[in-house]
This record gives sequence, C-alpha cells and structure tokens, in this order.
Amino acid sequence: MPQPILERSPILELRGVDKIFGDFAAVERVDLSIAEGEFFTIVGPSGSGKTTLIRMLVGMDAPTRGEILLRGQRINETPANKRPFCMVFQSLALFPHMTVGENVAYSLKCRGIGKKERRERATECLALAHLPASYYDRAVTKCSGGEKQRVALARALAYDPEVLFFDEPLSALDYRLRKTLEKELKDIQRETGKTFIYITHSLEEAMVMSDRIGVMRDGRLAQVGSPREVYDRPRTRFVSEFFGEVNAFPVTAKDGRLWCEPLAMAFDPPPDAPAGFKSGALIVRPEHLHFDPAAAEPIRGEVFNEYLLGSRVQYQVRAGGTTLLVEGMGGQPPATREVALSFSPADSLLFAE
Amino acid sequence: MERRSLADRLRSAWLWIVVVVLYLPLVAVGLASLSESRFFLFPIRKYSLKWYEESFASLQIRDALWTSVALAAVVGVIATVLAVFGALAYARHDWTGKGWYQQIVLAPIFFPQSVLGLALQLWFNTLGLDMTWHASVFAHLVWIAPIVTMVVAIQAYGYDASVEEAARDLGATRWMVFKDVTFPLLWPGVFSGLLFAVLLSWGNFPLSYFTSGADVTVPEWLYGKMIGGYTPMVPALGFLSVVAGGLVLAVGLAIQARLSRQP
Repeated sequence: MPQPILERSPILELRGVDKIFGDFAAVERVDLSIAEGEFFTIVGPSGSGKTTLIRMLVGMDAPTRGEILLRGQRINETPANKRPFCMVFQSLALFPHMTVGENVAYSLKCRGIGKKERRERATECLALAHLPASYYDRAVTKCSGGEKQRVALARALAYDPEVLFFDEPLSALDYRLRKTLEKELKDIQRETGKTFIYITHSLEEAMVMSDRIGVMRDGRLAQVGSPREVYDRPRTRFVSEFFGEVNAFPVTAKDGRLWCEPLAMAFDPPPDAPAGFKSGALIVRPEHLHFDPAAAEPIRGEVFNEYLLGSRVQYQVRAGGTTLLVEGMGGQPPATREVALSFSPADSLLFAE
Repeated sequence: MERRSLADRLRSAWLWIVVVVLYLPLVAVGLASLSESRFFLFPIRKYSLKWYEESFASLQIRDALWTSVALAAVVGVIATVLAVFGALAYARHDWTGKGWYQQIVLAPIFFPQSVLGLALQLWFNTLGLDMTWHASVFAHLVWIAPIVTMVVAIQAYGYDASVEEAARDLGATRWMVFKDVTFPLLWPGVFSGLLFAVLLSWGNFPLSYFTSGADVTVPEWLYGKMIGGYTPMVPALGFLSVVAGGLVLAVGLAIQARLSRQP
C-alpha cells in the first residue's frame, strides 16, 4: 500500500498567494500544500484564476504577495527555466518546425546532452507516452490530435521534472479519446511517481484522475479535498452545483424543520445541518431524488420530459411552479405522468444564504 | 465536366482584362527596346539587339547598375535585421509605449515619397551628411524598414506564442529560444521581407533622386534620359531592370518553396 497522500511531505506550498492585475485580483489569498507524488487537480469555471495560479507555480508570472515554496525553499524569484517543473500547455505548444523526436529531445538538447543519448532517452519517453519509436522522425504537424497530446506529454517527461503541470490539454479532444488519455495519464503518474498538477473546468475529468481536488472560484480556493469528499460533502453551494445540475429548494427554518414556500411543504433537515440556520437552499442531486409512491410526505409533480443519458435516464418534473430533475438508472420508469418524489435527508445538503 | 456559368466566364474575362492592362505597358517597353530605330515608332520596322549591346557597353549604365545593386543589398540586409526586432517589439513583447510605437511605425509609408525625400534631403544637409548613395541607404530605410517590419510582424502573429514559453519552460535560455524557436518560425516572413526590401529599393526613384547626390541609380538614370536625351537604351535598361526584379522574385519564391517542403 502506498503511503496516504496527506502524510507525505509537501513538495509545493503556497502561502497567502495573491496575484493582482491593476485593480483585479485574479488569485486571492491562496494557501495550499501539495504532497510529493500526488495527482492534484485544480477545478474551476473560466476566469476563476486557475490558469493564473498555475502560471505562478511554473514561474511564468510572479505573485503580487505571498510565498511559493518548493520543499520548504522559497522559489518566488526563480525563473521558469530554473525550476524543476514542466508544463503541458492547453495549446500543447509543440514546435511546429521540428520532428516528434526533436520536440521530445529539446530539453535534453538545452542541457547539452549528445545526439545519441538524446535519441535514446527521447525514445524511452515516447514509449512511456505510448508512441512507437518510429514516430521519432515524423513531422509533428503530421500527427493527429491524440498523438500530439502524447508528444507533448513525452516532451514534458523527457525534461524529467519534479512536478508536471497540465493546463487543460485534453479539452480539444473528442470524448472517447479524452477518456482514454485521462486513464493513461493517471497510469503514467503512478508509474513515474511524479507529482502532477492538472487544471481543468471539468469536474468529471478531475474525479477520474485526481488524488485531491481544489475547487476555485473568483480567485480563491473554495474547497480542497479528495474527489469523494468534494462530491459528498461540498462546503458551499457553488461547489455542490459545480458537479452538475442539482435541485435547489429555497427553504427557511420553521419549528425544527425546513419550510419550502414554492412547494408549500416542509422537509427534515440533514443530520449535519448548521446550527442556527435561518434560510438558504437545500440541495438534492438528481440521483438522490426518487419516485416513491409510498412516501409519507411526497413532493407531488408531473413528468414532462425524459432524456436518455446512456446508462441513466433523466426526468424533468414540474412541481409547485419549479422544475425538478430526477435521475434513475433506467430501472422503473414512472407508470403515470403524476408522480410522487422523496429523498433521504442524509442525501441533502443545506447551505445558509 | 460541367459547363461553366456565365458569371464564371465573366469573372475570368475580367481577370484577363486586368492582367493585360497591367502588363501591356511593360510589353510595350520591351518591344520598344528591340527596335533598331532611334525613335519609338509603331509598327517596328526592324528588330535588333543593338541597344542592349550599347547598354552593356555604357560605363554610365554600369555605374548605375552597381549603385542600384549595392543600395538594394545594403538596404535589404539592414531593413531585415531592423524588421525582425521591430516586429518582435510590435507583435510579441509588452512594454510601455508599445501602443505609440504601433501607431507611428507605419507613418513614413503614408508620406508622399517625394515629400519624404525632400524632407530627408534638408535633414541630411542640416546634419552635414554627404549626398551619396550612402545617404540614400538611410532614406530608403525610413520608407522600407516599416514595410518589412509589417511583413515580419504578420508572421509573428501567425504562430502560437506559447511555443516560446514552452521552450523556456524546457530549460532554454533566451538566446536558445530565439535561435531554436522564434527565428525558425519567423523565417518565412523574414525571407519575404528581405525580398520586399530588395525589390522596393531596386525600383525606388523619388527617395534616391533627392538624396543620392552625384551617384545615379538605375531609376534615376532612366528618368534623366527621359527628360533630356532619349535613347532606346532607356527601354532596354528599363526592361532589363524589370527582368532582374522578376528574377530576384522568382529565385526567392523557388528557394522558399524548396525550404518549406522539408519537414
């Protein structure tokens, strides 16, 4: 068994890092510690500051305030080419005038390593990225989208960095290829034992690959935790909604229960509801809302749409002037358009507003 | 094959009209140079290459050719070097005053060249510069360097700037980034820019006229003979000058095509 992530020594630490452009804070008061050999993913919508954060780590931008530490040493002033890091760019940034091999071996050339050894090591890295050695002399412009991803990865591996950064490199690929590469990336990370820091706006991507996820919003880290923690126990409504569509019931506290005005009914609060809650939103994910004709206090509604999502089915239900989403595994479809819905309080999340 | 529509045929007819109108004068000059007669009369009674022979024998023309070639070569090299760095400043780097620079770098192109020539002549006089073809180098550069800068800047905009960051991230020094990434990617623009510079300098009359003093370039010699003492060597040399420009362009394009075929 590998050591649990959090008990390992941190390789990278951020302490109170700010990045201010004019009067706009792109990154604000970020404290973060990333463990050796961890696959850490920073997730956030566009403009949340994740790219700015990664650029500061790599050394392409300097923080306005705060410290960046590599194994306890401040590296704020170390330029990008002196940091033991390497970045796989969103655009991949392959050198279009070079062959696959020249791309992969470029960092070795910069270090003054001889031609023969360059070729050997670059070929090894191509193999790690699942590219045959015959690709060495191919023009990089002749490669397909997926092959280019692999070349970019091999080029980063050839640099032999302590930390590899990824700036949404998979976002331009089609779904199936993306899924394959996500898993391969995870395998390569395990194989090499290197620390990977990945940024993406897709939580789905983050869930598949990461040991831990940091969710960013408006330049701040809204939550850091394992994929399970972030999914099951989101700390804010924003994080809970970031995983996909949710049902949000506006509720107010009333006699120890939660009164929902639009539905004219009350719910039991979740077991860990914050004390002193007055009003806010009760969040229930579509897969936690069930068709339940036998429910004691059902939400009554009417199915008006049905979408097949592959293995799951999503229903849109109109109830009390709002639209609810119900997701089932395709098992029992409701027999009538009039339905009764229920959920377990333990599956709901309560956020004060 | 489908029959071409009327619109298609009209379009190609228009294309041919434009080509003929543009190039007919050049053909006329070529014909004029082949007439044996001292005066330009159509139809040509007797064809001959005698004016070409006389042109090649003329010391004046040899001097003019030498001056024009030297001027075009020096202007081409200096303008291209300036343009590479000017284009990087224009397209790549962020610096205070970049906005201003982008606005005014092209200004000399919009000056009427004769006004620019006169202004430069007055300016060189004030500075006490001798009016020779060396002064014309500066004059040509004022007008040509901005154009070449634009040609290279277009190339600089044409590739993804993150490749330079990637190279740096992979451990390249600034010089290595320039040598291994920036310059090779700029090269097609640099080469076109060099061609532009040489051809624009080769054909330039007004700037040379005001600044070259006693030195005479090919366009100046042609002009001089046109206003005083026409000889059929004018069309002969004129035609040769066009052919030389065409050759430079053709050779340049061939080299570029050859280079871009390699991976």
